[in-house]
Amino acid sequence: MLDKASDWLIRLGAAGLVIMTAVIGWQVFGRFVLQSSPSWSEQAALLLMIWYVLFAAAAGVREGFHIRIALLEDMSSPAMARRIRMVIHCLVALFGIILFVYGSQLVWLVRDHVIPSLGLSRGFAYIPLPVSGFLMAIFALFHARDEWRGNTTGEDV
Amino acid sequence: MEILVLLGALLLLLLLGVPVAYALLGSALAIFLVIDIPLVVAVQRMAAGISVFTLMAIPFFIFAGDLMYRAGIADRLVQVADAAFGRVRGGLGLVDVGASMMFGAVSGSAIASASAIGSTMVPLMKDKGYPADYAVNVTVTAAVVGLLIPPSHNMIIYAAASGMGVSIGDLFLAGIVPGLLTGLMLMLTTWIVARRRGLPRGIFPGWRKFLRALVYAIPGLMTGVIIMGGILSGIFTPTESSAIAVIYTAIVGALVYRSLGWKGFAEAAQKSVRTASMVLFIIAAATAFGFALALLEVPAQLAALIGLMTDNPILTLLIINIMLLALGTFMDMAPLIVITTPIFLPVAVEVGVDPVHFGIILMLNLGIGLVTPPVGSVLFVGSAVGKTPVPILVKTIWPFYMTLIVALGLISFVPALSLALPQAF
Amino acid sequence: SMKLSGALTSADTHVGSYPTVQAVIRFGELLKERTNGKLSVQMYPGGQLGNERDTLEITTFGGLDFNRVNLAPLNSIEPLTIVAALPFLFESTEHMRGALDGPIGDEILASLERHGLIGLCFYDSGARSFYNTRGPIQTPDDMRGLKLRVPGSDLYVAMVNSLGADATPMPLDEVYQSLAQGVIDGAENNWPSFESGRHYEVARYYSLTRHLLAPEVFVMSKISWDKLSSEEQAIVRQSARDSVPYMRQLWDEQVERSRKTVLASGVSVNEVDPALFTDKMTGMWDSFVTTSKQRELVDRMLSMRTGKS
Ligand code: NA
Ligand code: NA
Repeated sequence: MLDKASDWLIRLGAAGLVIMTAVIGWQVFGRFVLQSSPSWSEQAALLLMIWYVLFAAAAGVREGFHIRIALLEDMSSPAMARRIRMVIHCLVALFGIILFVYGSQLVWLVRDHVIPSLGLSRGFAYIPLPVSGFLMAIFALFHARDEWRGNTTGEDV
Repeated sequence: MEILVLLGALLLLLLLGVPVAYALLGSALAIFLVIDIPLVVAVQRMAAGISVFTLMAIPFFIFAGDLMYRAGIADRLVQVADAAFGRVRGGLGLVDVGASMMFGAVSGSAIASASAIGSTMVPLMKDKGYPADYAVNVTVTAAVVGLLIPPSHNMIIYAAASGMGVSIGDLFLAGIVPGLLTGLMLMLTTWIVARRRGLPRGIFPGWRKFLRALVYAIPGLMTGVIIMGGILSGIFTPTESSAIAVIYTAIVGALVYRSLGWKGFAEAAQKSVRTASMVLFIIAAATAFGFALALLEVPAQLAALIGLMTDNPILTLLIINIMLLALGTFMDMAPLIVITTPIFLPVAVEVGVDPVHFGIILMLNLGIGLVTPPVGSVLFVGSAVGKTPVPILVKTIWPFYMTLIVALGLISFVPALSLALPQAF
Repeated sequence: SMKLSGALTSADTHVGSYPTVQAVIRFGELLKERTNGKLSVQMYPGGQLGNERDTLEITTFGGLDFNRVNLAPLNSIEPLTIVAALPFLFESTEHMRGALDGPIGDEILASLERHGLIGLCFYDSGARSFYNTRGPIQTPDDMRGLKLRVPGSDLYVAMVNSLGADATPMPLDEVYQSLAQGVIDGAENNWPSFESGRHYEVARYYSLTRHLLAPEVFVMSKISWDKLSSEEQAIVRQSARDSVPYMRQLWDEQVERSRKTVLASGVSVNEVDPALFTDKMTGMWDSFVTTSKQRELVDRMLSMRTGKS
């Protein structure tokens, strides 16, 4: 279930990357070939980038691909290492919750601001922050639970 | 006091093993609480940090590199390089340095260069028996050279930040010799390290096979021609060239080599989005962290110390370099240029350093900061595309750091290296 | 954020020597003097805290106390600010200052309060004109087919497209190289930015269209404002107003310096007849001036024209 959610985040992210490629390709085509630059392409590409980076970053918590320095864990006994990992997962969950709470506040505060050339609320650029923060917290808490139960494989229990 | 909270929290979280991005975010949140800045600001800085047009080069070049690898384009390129330079021990390392220098020179971005060259060269060097850490270290340090060789948008930022009427044309000319010098020194190091570690050496396959490899590699070689030609002829910007590289590679892979189908394309996109988000999420958190550092005026406090310590020109320049290197370990390049230039440039000018010369020192110095932990986006790109953890890279990167530091010393204390060309024209 | 060394914070994207930065520093000195050292300002120039749109948001959240921004980022927050950003609206600097230093300007500044900002005063931003790598622009016909960089703003896009050129939104830090390589043919800005960004090294034709005289705005966070006593609020307002003549003096000097540098480098500068361009603007104005309040302000501004220039 969680793995499925994580896979879908990556698929959405990949779609975002492909669409962004098309948008910038169209920007070059419009300016150089059609002699008419699209005015929306820059903002649209930036918006897409925030979305897919944060979605994939949430999946990264599930898949455990975020860069970290595991020196302490490597030097510790297996039991100690497990405790360290639990603390780390809980901290990641805490930061995820902060992203969720303050990301939601951010979306709300700028709801009246407009993204130029797209005409959308600025909140759209920030929506992935709370969504991603929420998912990060969930993924990290389940990892912490798995460590608690002694299941370090990351599989659903 | 607040600075200690900020750096202490960061080191604590990093050593505990919290992922780098969360450690940066966590320490930024801690300092925001201490100095009473709303936490919503930290979250906004994260989004703003990746809402930057030039950063698009990271996902695009990673994507293009992965497509080239899957489609067999990169393999054909390396066969040619291997045939041409393979007889030298660590020959592919030399090719990597050369390619990174050329790419960095044209794109002006160390991150773009590390993304583009790293995602094509590193997997192939691994295939040919090179250790991943060596391949990554060569790529990331060579990427720094591109900041010195014109054009370089960081030099434009410096010229504007200097407020002293520094000419971009002079800066561009001044960067050429230091850039080539640093590049040659890195090639030498690459070769020496390869000999010491007994890295593989290829065999020249004979002219027939070499020419055949060359012909098969033409569509791949065209990627470089299209990117560089497109930039130089004004069809697209360096940032846009990264998206063009994706489109071109996908077309060549699907239609010319017929080795890339929908499945491979989708897999490449999924893999690239993981790698890119790993790096960009750190950059996002580093932006929140950098906001706290700027608010605490860390650079200004450091500059105030210099005046107390010495008025000897050589010592002053040395201290400035050490402070910039220290700042560079924690912050990214563009924000550091705008923050440190107005603070350190007057100090340097006071002891007789030419502003153009100082610009070149600053570029290389802050460029080194891009490949040092804990905050080094170019190092992170290398780590991500090479699938090699930062601690492992750092274990063997010392010869390359030393080379860059020696180059920095030469460039700092031999002004003619930078100033001869602009003074001649 | 007063916990930080007791000073109020202020952000600016321009470098430390720039007139807007110096004016806010002067404002801080006045504030310190008039509150007997209780209130002072810590300036963060050079965009070190983020671009204008971002720091403006942070100011509305109370993360920064003061901010100096161009009118453009306010356009996407408050529609009433658009009227002062209309191209070819102000016929001269005197016209702009006359309109914005009085009740019209006050109404625009007051409209920011519901967005969490206290508008304190307007600073000069000079006149923006087109520069390009191809040749002098005398009439709108000379602009046909030119790819001209604009900031990411609907108003600029509409303006440049109405004049027959191809508006190309692009971040400022990509402009120099894009001009040099020919990705774009030109851009538009005031004398100081044309000079400080070194764009004159590659774009050798500057045509004085003076299409925009949109001002800079100095704002305070409403959250920080509400923490002040009414006496302190009055001092803040008055000190901001008192910094305006100083800013304009610095500005005029800066423009003169930049103009001299650019001219000395041999850039070809030409005057144009604004009437040839103004005619193309009517349709564009209509699509941005949509409310009766906007219309009223525009009419009042137009009635202040002297017709002399
Ligand atoms: Na370069
Ligand atoms: Na660093």
